[in-house]
Amino acid sequence: MKVYATYNIKGGVGKTTTAVNLAYLSAREGRRTLLWDLDPQGAATYLFRVRPRVKGGAHALVTRHRPIEDAIKATDYDNLDLLPADFSYRNMDLDLDDTKKPIRRLAQLLKEVSDDYDVIFLDCPPSVSLVSENVLHAADTLLIPLIPATLSMRTLEQLTQFVADSAGRKPELVAFFSMADRRKRLHRDVIAAAPPRGARISTTVIPALSIIEQMAEHRAPVPVFAATSRAAQCYEQLWADVRTS
Amino acid sequence: MTRPTRTLQTVHDVPLDLEVITAALSTRFSVVTSPVKPVRRARLDTFDHRLRAAGLTLQHQSYRDGDVLVLGDGETTLSQPLGKVEWPALADALPAGRLRELTAPVTGIRALLAMPQEFRRLRRLDLLNEDGKTVARVEVDEPGSPTAGPAQLTVRTLRGYEDQAQRAARLLSGAGLRPLRRGSDGDHDSPPEPTKADRHASATLLLAMGLEGGLATMRMNLPGLLDDVDTEFLHDFRVAVRRTRSTLKLGRSILPQAVSERWEPPFKGLGDLTTPVRDLDVYELDLPTMAGWLVAAGPADLEPFSAHLRTRRATAREPLVRELRSPGFRRLLTQWGDELDGLADASYGPNSKALSAGLWAQRSISRAYRRVVRGGAAITSDSPATDLHALRKRCKELRYAIEVCAPVVANGPRKHALAHLKQLQDVLGRFQDCQVQSTALHGFAEAMMADGTPASALLAMGELIAHLDAEQARARRQFDGAFARFSGRPTRQAMDKLGGTRR
Repeated sequence: MKVYATYNIKGGVGKTTTAVNLAYLSAREGRRTLLWDLDPQGAATYLFRVRPRVKGGAHALVTRHRPIEDAIKATDYDNLDLLPADFSYRNMDLDLDDTKKPIRRLAQLLKEVSDDYDVIFLDCPPSVSLVSENVLHAADTLLIPLIPATLSMRTLEQLTQFVADSAGRKPELVAFFSMADRRKRLHRDVIAAAPPRGARISTTVIPALSIIEQMAEHRAPVPVFAATSRAAQCYEQLWADVRTS
Repeated sequence: MTRPTRTLQTVHDVPLDLEVITAALSTRFSVVTSPVKPVRRARLDTFDHRLRAAGLTLQHQSYRDGDVLVLGDGETTLSQPLGKVEWPALADALPAGRLRELTAPVTGIRALLAMPQEFRRLRRLDLLNEDGKTVARVEVDEPGSPTAGPAQLTVRTLRGYEDQAQRAARLLSGAGLRPLRRGSDGDHDSPPEPTKADRHASATLLLAMGLEGGLATMRMNLPGLLDDVDTEFLHDFRVAVRRTRSTLKLGRSILPQAVSERWEPPFKGLGDLTTPVRDLDVYELDLPTMAGWLVAAGPADLEPFSAHLRTRRATAREPLVRELRSPGFRRLLTQWGDELDGLADASYGPNSKALSAGLWAQRSISRAYRRVVRGGAAITSDSPATDLHALRKRCKELRYAIEVCAPVVANGPRKHALAHLKQLQDVLGRFQDCQVQSTALHGFAEAMMADGTPASALLAMGELIAHLDAEQARARRQFDGAFARFSGRPTRQAMDKLGGTRR
């Protein structure tokens, strides 16, 4: 089982769209894939038309009062399941803090379904919190979408340092540019600049395209409703790059 | 991901009426009907039905837009796009992924064969809730030709929506559909126990039954052997030949002398004819294991050896295939079949001197068992390897005696006796195989050296020889314990129940 997490401290950078599209592509290749929507906003849950409701909420999951398997829902796509978000996830930090090994709890929960899935995606909320520390311990690869801007690069540096300083097992960091607009000189310059030390930036760039925004309208991954679009091709390329990393 | 399914069919195999089905489901769901997908579907399994025995079904489905493999375990299914594959093929030829990971360990060294294709018309009904989310699926599978099997519907449960699939199944039941009869597709039959025979029948009849079984196995495996589908066709063919020879030998006292004299030599010749290719098959099959023995060398160093084996095998197959395709061989099988018919017919006639099958079984097993015990007891630390080889042959004769007599002995004691014997056979088998392989490797190495093979390959083969010699010595050390167990009380009791210790 391989665990990927889409993560960035900043919001609105394309974490959810990346998680949804890559999870779909993984499943399309026959891998049994689970996407866990950890963001209380529940955007991934909405995109898969699943109701944002988990019986007992985050507390029941984190404290193991309800098995994680019971909360999983099939999506409309073969091999792809979803662990939906619930608004109670906003308190997940507090729930985690009440447990014995608070920064390893998500990894322990994922072990319970490790026989059922080949690939797991974690779609993380934009914050530095106990949840994100858990994600660092649970993930094999951290996928970091970056809007090509100077501050984003600084964020990547901070994140790289944060992971380097964290104790125990460290995930591989794979950053990629997202929502890129090549008409903007700043975007072009940032993409051309060297990455900070310790981080790998994928050569695949996800452009800012309206078809990606239309995911919310279609409530489906891009390759489902625009199979031959440039956006679909970019996500396919990103997945090819990421899965062999 | 697909979850437990419910398969339904119409009563009396009447055609499905999709409108009726959709109307029934529409009372609780929004139904999205996919267009009809014509499909050519072939079931895949090994010749000895390993997938079926493991409770799996594998299908090659060909659609207009591509081919798909579908693996099912009765509750869940897993599908994967399939590129160009020619059947028969080993599971290694399947695309990399979970489906291959689940299939390959079951099929092992046996090739997947495609059963005759069926033309079907598939349609999928997605059942949506008020959010537009698919909460259950119904697959409609209708015959695409008059000869294809009847229509059926499968309700697929989606994880987290189990109650919705139950609801859909109830609606379909209300529309007149009924659950598919278990086993109506012949999927779940268990391996057959040996056919039982009357202990008081003539022993000749028992022998004829055993020999007919061997002939049937030879005939069944011949096409796969000739087409070189996988190595096990030749293996099973050889086992049938060996059993035939052993049964003829066992039956010398009751078969007409002319039968023994007429048929023992050609079956010995047939065994000898198949030996070279089988020996080479064993090396090829063992190569991955052998590669794991290497310490100084790497698996890549064995590639010239592997290539050498392939070349030798291709050469060795030529006379084998020529002989097995010859009119003489066809005549041999036909005449052997006629001979067995004659033996079976004669065994039904009035013959006051005829020995009963039960008594003959008792005597045969007893004699064979005593020969093994005597042979084993005579082996000392100074005994040459040939003595252990001779004992291995006696063990095989005992095994075949028990198997030929299976129709007139109880299944439980028979299985116990075979299990005890197998432990001794395993040790003797390892001892002999190591010696034969070690000797043969020397021969291969000399031939390869003459062909200018790189030294790295020869050095790697040297490592293999050293490993085989050590393994043979280990088997020799284990022999005393294995034989002590075999000649001990539990085995004696198991044999006693078969009549094997009675004099």
